[in-house]
Amino acid sequence: MKNLRKIVSVVLACVLMMSAVSALADKVTLKVWGSNDDQKVLGELIEEFKAANPDTEWDISLGVVGEPDARARYQEDPAAAADVFAFANDQLIDLVNSGALRRITLNLDQIAAANTAGSIESATLDGTLYGYPKSADNGYFMYYDKSVFTEEDVKTLDGMLKKANEAGKKVFMDLSNGWYIASFFLGAGGQLTVDENGKQVCDFNNANGLAAAEAIKAFAADPAFLTGDDSVLVGMFGTTIAAGVSGTWNATVIAEKLGENYAACALPTFTCGGEQVPMASFIGTKVVGVNSQTAAPLQAFQLAEFITNEAAQVKFFEQRELGPTNIAAASNPAVLENIALAALSAQGVNGVSQKLVLGGYWTPAEAFGLAMENKSTEDLQSLLDKMVAQIVE
Amino acid sequence: MSANINTSAQGKRARKIPHTDEHRPKFIHQLANGGAETWLSAIIFGFGSFVNGQIIKGLLYLASEVGFILFYLTFGWGYVKDLLTLGTVQQGWVFNEAIGIDELAAGQNSMLILLYSVLTIATLVPLFMIWRNSVKSSYLAHERKLAGIKQPTFLKDVKTLLDLRYHMTLMSLPLITLTLFTALPIIFMVAIAFTNFDATHQPPGKLFTWVGLTNFRNIFFDNPKYKNSFGGILTWTFIWAIFATVTNYLLGMILALMINKQGIKLKKLWRTCFVITIAVPQFVSLMLVSRMFADTGIVNETLKNWNWIKDPIKFLTDPTLARIMVVIINMWVGVPYTMLMTTGILMNIPADLYESANIDGATAYRQFVSITLPYMLFVTGPYLITTFVGNINNFNVIYLLTSGGPLNQNYYQAGDTDLLVTWLYKLTVDRSDYNLASAIGIIIFVIVAAFSLLAYNFTGSVKKEDQFS
Repeated sequence: MKNLRKIVSVVLACVLMMSAVSALADKVTLKVWGSNDDQKVLGELIEEFKAANPDTEWDISLGVVGEPDARARYQEDPAAAADVFAFANDQLIDLVNSGALRRITLNLDQIAAANTAGSIESATLDGTLYGYPKSADNGYFMYYDKSVFTEEDVKTLDGMLKKANEAGKKVFMDLSNGWYIASFFLGAGGQLTVDENGKQVCDFNNANGLAAAEAIKAFAADPAFLTGDDSVLVGMFGTTIAAGVSGTWNATVIAEKLGENYAACALPTFTCGGEQVPMASFIGTKVVGVNSQTAAPLQAFQLAEFITNEAAQVKFFEQRELGPTNIAAASNPAVLENIALAALSAQGVNGVSQKLVLGGYWTPAEAFGLAMENKSTEDLQSLLDKMVAQIVE
Repeated sequence: MSANINTSAQGKRARKIPHTDEHRPKFIHQLANGGAETWLSAIIFGFGSFVNGQIIKGLLYLASEVGFILFYLTFGWGYVKDLLTLGTVQQGWVFNEAIGIDELAAGQNSMLILLYSVLTIATLVPLFMIWRNSVKSSYLAHERKLAGIKQPTFLKDVKTLLDLRYHMTLMSLPLITLTLFTALPIIFMVAIAFTNFDATHQPPGKLFTWVGLTNFRNIFFDNPKYKNSFGGILTWTFIWAIFATVTNYLLGMILALMINKQGIKLKKLWRTCFVITIAVPQFVSLMLVSRMFADTGIVNETLKNWNWIKDPIKFLTDPTLARIMVVIINMWVGVPYTMLMTTGILMNIPADLYESANIDGATAYRQFVSITLPYMLFVTGPYLITTFVGNINNFNVIYLLTSGGPLNQNYYQAGDTDLLVTWLYKLTVDRSDYNLASAIGIIIFVIVAAFSLLAYNFTGSVKKEDQFS
């Protein structure tokens, strides 16, 4: 009888202790959003994060929301959105304006020192850092086939088109896409910024813009010009297409298609009002932010920092060929030897931050590009005026 | 003997408290004649039932009243009190030195205020019904007491749900779900049309508020961008709906006629061939076709390889061609359905009509115009209207084929093949302009409802309902 009582009391004590322990280490629940391609790496990083922080009981779930869709999906229901999510930095203004992001206050100096100045700037608005730079790959440059073009040919667009026409090949660029077509306008000195009231400012319809538009029109009318989406580029590179404007995400496939003829370089110059002007490009970064509505901000910051640190960026480079923003990771010899990333950083000289492009820019710019591809006979100036009127709202 | 039964039955009925609708006294009458407990029942739910011995019933009424009051105090009022402004406190931040991060000073969320206010106000309906029933049962209990009839037990009351009031048992679940999942969201979304809930007023950081009819004024008059887009897209929506409906209808019927024609062999095989297109999910075939007709799609590439063309034909990127293409591709998707449906009806047309027409020497065309078509229009009038309305809102075909493109520089966020409904989708999903989208939704509803009602009343099937011939 006495034994039984002892056993019962021991069992009870154990139960009490266990419940006390589990109450102390209360579970931290976090949700992470990343793109479909990043899922594997993110999953590994989350496991590493859990292992590195064994004192807390973690419940971290991973959802598929690509960086381009982050803003739209966030706004559907901020409270149900991920605590930690990756987004393309052109959504920064919209996200900050809708109060979606927590500003970063912890380890500010270390983060600023560890990443390239440009990438920190890309996640900063009015002097406040709103996210951890994850990769600097949101830009485009020229892939080309070495058997068709020499290094001299790819310096000018005219040279490329001439060579392509001779070889019966195509030069690919998705002109009916605001992201790519901006290359000409920005190269010609066009301004796409935001004024103090948060409205988009765009001067693509001035004399410089008109000169750029003339160049676009000529390019679109060239027999060697080809447009389409990524599937066209990837599908026809090496056969019909000899050169194409795209970004790092297509590097692996294009390298495979071209074999030893695979090459990439900065965008060429184009003839703008009789002069050779380098084509500019949008340079964007992918950034990891922390949801303002998160219940566990400290831990969310911790996790966001972890999945963007040097080791994580090396991992992203190794498995996904994403260009690091982390200075130490970027100086990794493998990164330096990467042809696509080298071309991207060469293009960086003429890069324009995509941060100040508001959501209203894309559709009108696409419509203009489409008019060019369709060889519209309408007056260029009036087409430009219409586009700008739509962009500036 | 039989008379005896009759009288006794009548006697019973006369003594019984009136229970059915035709005898039910008006509400005022109930209050006036229900005694003091009925008056009290209007304030304290179930009081009358309680004092007349229906304890459980009374307690249930009381519990629901308490429940409602608690709901309003703890939840509902917190939102409804801000309904007029939709919130005034914005989200803010307070820096916490100790842990080195900002603490969230949560602000109000206009969307939740609107949503839960709609919900709270909607609960007034069940509250009113319970209040009304509380008075009524108190009155009935009072009447029974005066007449010296035993009050029915709670169990007996519940049992009537399976018998006398079976309709309530059957209808309550559909009614509740319909209200919760259809009616309330619609009210909420209609309300958004009168706010400035757009891309620059997004929760949780920003509040939005009521702006009256501004959105409608912008669409119709004030904002040239919206006005142009709306006018252009509305016109195309109607052109599309007319063409899509008429072509599918006529071609489907002609196809069915051809297959039905005497002397055609392998009828079942032909029919199966066309029905197979139904077996492939619509969105799969539409996506495939959209790839096929792309500038670098299989059609253009093949034509190029045959040296028929040098530049790709811009099937889906040239405004006019794209509009023609969506109508044609829609035929391919829709004709089999019409064919299937009309096959059955065509077989029902009396054969003697055609026989006499043949004797009179009428041509096949004449027979089609004078016999087949009038008969078909008579039978399928309502079907045509629903198809037309369905085509006005035919999201799938347009969105999957062209996504509304090619984009039009004169339109706000829209292209040349965009219907109102796909434009609405882009405004919500791509631009977060919920207010504009909601206003457009209301306008679509008005157009569609007005058209359907008018057209329906003009169809032969309604006007000459009795003379089916």
